[in-house]
Amino acid sequence: MPDSPTRSLRVGVCGPVGTGKSSLIALVCRELAAELRLGVVTNDIYTDEDARFLRSAGVLDPDRIRSVETGACPHTAIRDDITANLMMVEDLEADFDPLDVVLVESGGDNLTATFSPALVDTQIFLIDVAGGGDVARKGGPGITRADLLVVNKTDLGPHVGVDPDQMVVDASAVRDGRPVIALSRTDPASVTALTDWLRRQLASHRTGDLTPADPGPMAPHSHGDEPSHTHGQGDDAHHHDHAHV
Amino acid sequence: MDRPPPSPLLLMLLADARLPTAGHTQSAQLEPATVWGLGVSEVADFIALRLRTVTRVEAATAVVAMHHLRAGLDVAEVEAAWAARTPSPAMRATSRQMARALRRLVCRLWPESPHLAVTGPGASRAVVLAVAADSAGLAPRDLAMLVGYDDVQTVASAALKLLPLDPADVACWVLDALAAVDALATEVAPLTLPSAIPAAGAPQIEAWAESHAVTSRRLFNA
Ligand SMILES: Nc1nc2c(ncn2[C@@H]2O[C@H](COP(=O)(O)OP(=O)(O)OP(=O)(O)O)[C@@H](O)[C@H]2O)c(=O)[nH]1
Ligand SMILES: [Mg+2]
Repeated sequence: MPDSPTRSLRVGVCGPVGTGKSSLIALVCRELAAELRLGVVTNDIYTDEDARFLRSAGVLDPDRIRSVETGACPHTAIRDDITANLMMVEDLEADFDPLDVVLVESGGDNLTATFSPALVDTQIFLIDVAGGGDVARKGGPGITRADLLVVNKTDLGPHVGVDPDQMVVDASAVRDGRPVIALSRTDPASVTALTDWLRRQLASHRTGDLTPADPGPMAPHSHGDEPSHTHGQGDDAHHHDHAHV
Repeated sequence: MDRPPPSPLLLMLLADARLPTAGHTQSAQLEPATVWGLGVSEVADFIALRLRTVTRVEAATAVVAMHHLRAGLDVAEVEAAWAARTPSPAMRATSRQMARALRRLVCRLWPESPHLAVTGPGASRAVVLAVAADSAGLAPRDLAMLVGYDDVQTVASAALKLLPLDPADVACWVLDALAAVDALATEVAPLTLPSAIPAAGAPQIEAWAESHAVTSRRLFNA
């Protein structure tokens, strides 16, 4: 898709239901609305709850928050047929030209849902400590390969018997050096880590150094001495019947 | 240039729900109908009603629009005739939004189409379908069948999300509706004049479209 180099940075925010996607977007708006021109697109599953929550949070002009219906296919709308979302992002960009960043919240889905790189330039995947300490170890494309993994609600750790630091260690172990932020809206240092990450993404977008990456449906893996690769996508697809190591 | 693909294959391409045009966001007013109380046993009637009314208007509009495009006539008159026969603002807005999604794709599939320039972002879906069908080399009858078939399948696939039922039953509804799609296509295929587009409204469907547009609870865009 030919894009103008000056168009906004499109940031996807996804992760399971209730992990704090809308809250994170509200937080980013609160922290950065004075510094950056922002827009938000929500993918509501059934109600317009997310868009309404964000509008009522009063952190952004309500008209800069738009919602897309997904016909009970939240996964499709961010991955295989991104048309409705792309049109909404473009509408926002046209109505409030120029925008610096458009944040797109996915409909709360399962651990496998990630954004198509044709829709967003970079993506944040959220899990939370309340979902259990083992979620990070379960992996999945978002946890292992989203541009940023956020382990949210660290303030709840003591109440749910989960050690947030251990979750970060577990998550980092499967992320091959990609960043992980342990976030709580009550922890200003963690909020700063998040906004700094976003500013850096925007800077690389503007210099043309940000290449959208697909977290993908399949995890790369290696067959002993062969280089690692993935299966089932395009030309890489091949049949094999041996055990993976 | 290589020989273009035969039009039956291009018709299949355009009729495929997997085409990236946000089709999955649409229920063709089945969602507000079910909210109102329409049950599983009435969906086949709902499909038949659409084919006699709103879908007939859309199919006729598409056929007349394609005639205008191919004859070098102004499509503005066709747009006006369609709008006059589509009294629901919500349905007009949905049509234009779906047209935009389709137009994006047509720009990629057939960028050389001379008609993209004359059908801007405000075009209705019927008119943009006419642009696609023209590039695909479809006959007017094929285009009318496409409009009818797509409408039936939109209702059918939305029904699978909205009403719990056996998907094979839904395929049976589609099969049963094909005779009406065929009859619709036969009726509208010869039309060339905007004034000949039937004015066949369905006040209840229009009312559902309007109520759906303002509800805060919905799965489908329309
Ligand atoms: N304690 C605590 N609660 C949080 C934090 N962030 C979000 N929450 C709470 O988590 C709940 C869910 O947050 P949302 O932001 O609505 O989550 P979401 O991922 O957008 O949810 P869906 O859109 O429904 O999938 C709300 O009750 C938030 O107040 C946090 O840092 N700490
Ligand atoms: Mg939310």
